[in-house]
Amino acid sequence: MAAAIARRFRGASAGYLLIAPALIVAVVFLVIPMVVSGYWSLTHFNGIKPPEFVGLQNYADVVSNPRFQRAFQNTVFFVVMGMSIGPLLGLGSAILLNDNLRLRALFRTSFFLPTMTSLIVVATIWKLMYADNGIINAVAAFFGLPGHAWLTDPTTALPAVVVTAIWQGFGFETVVFLAALQAVPREYYEAATMDGAGHFARFRWVTLPGIRSTIVFVFVIGIIGSFQTFDQVFVMTNGGPIQATRTIVFDLVDRFNKLDIGGASAVAYILLVFLAVLSYIQLRLGESRD
Amino acid sequence: MRPRFRALTGLAVLAIIASACGSSAASAGPTSGPTTGPTEAASGGAVASPEPTVAPSLDTTPVTIKVWDYYGETTPIKPALDGFKKEYPWITVDYQALDWDSMNEKFKAGLGAGEVPDLATLDMTWIPTLAANGALDDLTAISGGQLNGTPIKDQYASGAIDAMTYGDQMVSMLYDFDTYSLYYRKDLFDQKGIAVPTNWDEFRAAAKALAESSKPGGKPDKYLTAIRPNSFHFSQYLYQDGGSLLNDDNSQAVFNSPEGVAAVDIQKAILDDGSGKYWADADGDLTPAIKSGEVAMFQDGPYYMGLLKSGVPEQSGKWAVATAPFSKQPGSYLGGTGLGIPIQAEHKGAAWLLAQYLLRPEQQIGVFNYAGAAPATTAALQSPDLTKPDPYFGGEQPFGVFLESMKTSRPFPYVAAWDDIDVAIADAMQKALLGKAPVQQALDDAVTETNTLLKK
Repeated sequence: MAAAIARRFRGASAGYLLIAPALIVAVVFLVIPMVVSGYWSLTHFNGIKPPEFVGLQNYADVVSNPRFQRAFQNTVFFVVMGMSIGPLLGLGSAILLNDNLRLRALFRTSFFLPTMTSLIVVATIWKLMYADNGIINAVAAFFGLPGHAWLTDPTTALPAVVVTAIWQGFGFETVVFLAALQAVPREYYEAATMDGAGHFARFRWVTLPGIRSTIVFVFVIGIIGSFQTFDQVFVMTNGGPIQATRTIVFDLVDRFNKLDIGGASAVAYILLVFLAVLSYIQLRLGESRD
Repeated sequence: MRPRFRALTGLAVLAIIASACGSSAASAGPTSGPTTGPTEAASGGAVASPEPTVAPSLDTTPVTIKVWDYYGETTPIKPALDGFKKEYPWITVDYQALDWDSMNEKFKAGLGAGEVPDLATLDMTWIPTLAANGALDDLTAISGGQLNGTPIKDQYASGAIDAMTYGDQMVSMLYDFDTYSLYYRKDLFDQKGIAVPTNWDEFRAAAKALAESSKPGGKPDKYLTAIRPNSFHFSQYLYQDGGSLLNDDNSQAVFNSPEGVAAVDIQKAILDDGSGKYWADADGDLTPAIKSGEVAMFQDGPYYMGLLKSGVPEQSGKWAVATAPFSKQPGSYLGGTGLGIPIQAEHKGAAWLLAQYLLRPEQQIGVFNYAGAAPATTAALQSPDLTKPDPYFGGEQPFGVFLESMKTSRPFPYVAAWDDIDVAIADAMQKALLGKAPVQQALDDAVTETNTLLKK
């Protein structure tokens, strides 16, 4: 057995040598921190005194903590809203751009520009736009509508942050969908047209099956990204008002800032398990329809 | 195609670990056990002396100490370093300027990674968390109870000594102090014939008389009074009405008392009158609202004298400072900036030399002259610089108002869960002031949460 493994390794030694740098980087910066963080999640650890093993106590504390529960609810809201609207906008704009529009390149660049802009810059700009005397209230006033304290009111703060995230993210979805649309063979559309299919039928029976794997990709990546939301919240509302925009990763960072590294690690692992399960379900759903 | 998606998903899942759980791991780094050895003397610092009267012997081995400072552009620390270098030529200072938020995060991340400065400016509101976690060196040993050759207790007011002490440890040296008084636009008060308020009723009436609308018959939108939903302002009103945040032994929250309700009610009344400007911490610094004329009255600490001068120079001569109006007695939270030495610092002795240098009266005056903030030591507080007429404040001497306020100020309770309690109080304030819950219920909820936190 050992000899067989050794023989196999000798045969592929050049390959292992070539992937070694990447493997070392992954082990040092990904695997070891993951393992260490997993251990910390089972300890009371503040980064100063040695970790004290407490078993699953941190997990129990985190799950029963009302602020974490609120963060979880907010994050789910963020994901559902963001993933309901963002990909639809992305797909819609991609379909429009897929036609031979003049200035297509300009539109494509414009849509993608927010994605390339720093999250902090985008969040700061939107925070100014949402301000009492910002452009959104100014436009409302122009139409005779009353202004609103968008980020101060707990009812509107989270939706306001979601809008910012959608605005920034849908350019990425547009470009990904556009690439997928352009890969759908033209002949399929021609055949469908000859069979008498209208716009909607072509979209339903040609376009959607043709880009299904891209849709799964966009949702998997989008949901993972949405669950990691932090920057916009940190800049625009700092988790407030009244925890209305506290997200799971914000909760994690908050614990870290309070030197509760054990609790922060537990939050990270809860998020990991949740996302892993969610991603698995999404992939299985994608596979089952192939 | 499917395997590729699986691989992509796998990568994404790994990425979340790296950025979520791994981020704390990466920034926290390897575990460093507590540095519990003898107070450092070998790397260039003063020898810790158990005898207060024994002069420290100095090891002049060249050493570089790291200093992290959140003061910003107007820091009095950076200009002091040349003089320090002349006096202690073997000590090189590696100075890093940070802002308040960056310092808060970097300092705590550094504790986990063992990458800490030798000396840092620390907000006094961070002290409970840092001290409860054993992050700060007990300065009692390294100082021998002396600061620049004089007993520490003789160099600070008693409230300041309380603020510097956690349990039986002296965990920081107060560098500047923060206590609240009333800032108001004197030009508008004079123009409208408004008297400076001395009690809550007059305060509310003054806010109402001050507020104006920019449109005829419209809602007041300028010259408003800032209402800040945070624990600093809540505690101020609470203390003024004779209440307390916690009971005497810090085992239970008591701020849902009638005094607590009154403390929120007065602020809510000003908002309900239409003469208040709700300004949460997430809205940032108040200066833009002051600059635009939206806010013409607010309560804050002496550091705001400097912020007004640098941020709103065009309003020079229009502002004045008065004792904060109160219902039953003067009162304010006491905070400020402390100089702290992390427990893991490599060169504690040299850091203590710098801390002492910065706390000399001639350097402490820099806190006022450079930053417009309030120096903390009693010797510095007697400086004539502080009582010079200030043209920005119409030739008045606003500093005396803060000195008077300091006498009746008290620090926040030093309990390990303070950071979370602070959030619970701020949430209660926001709920009550935004009308999301009745005042009593908002405070009751916060007290329940606080009591749970105190039991941990």
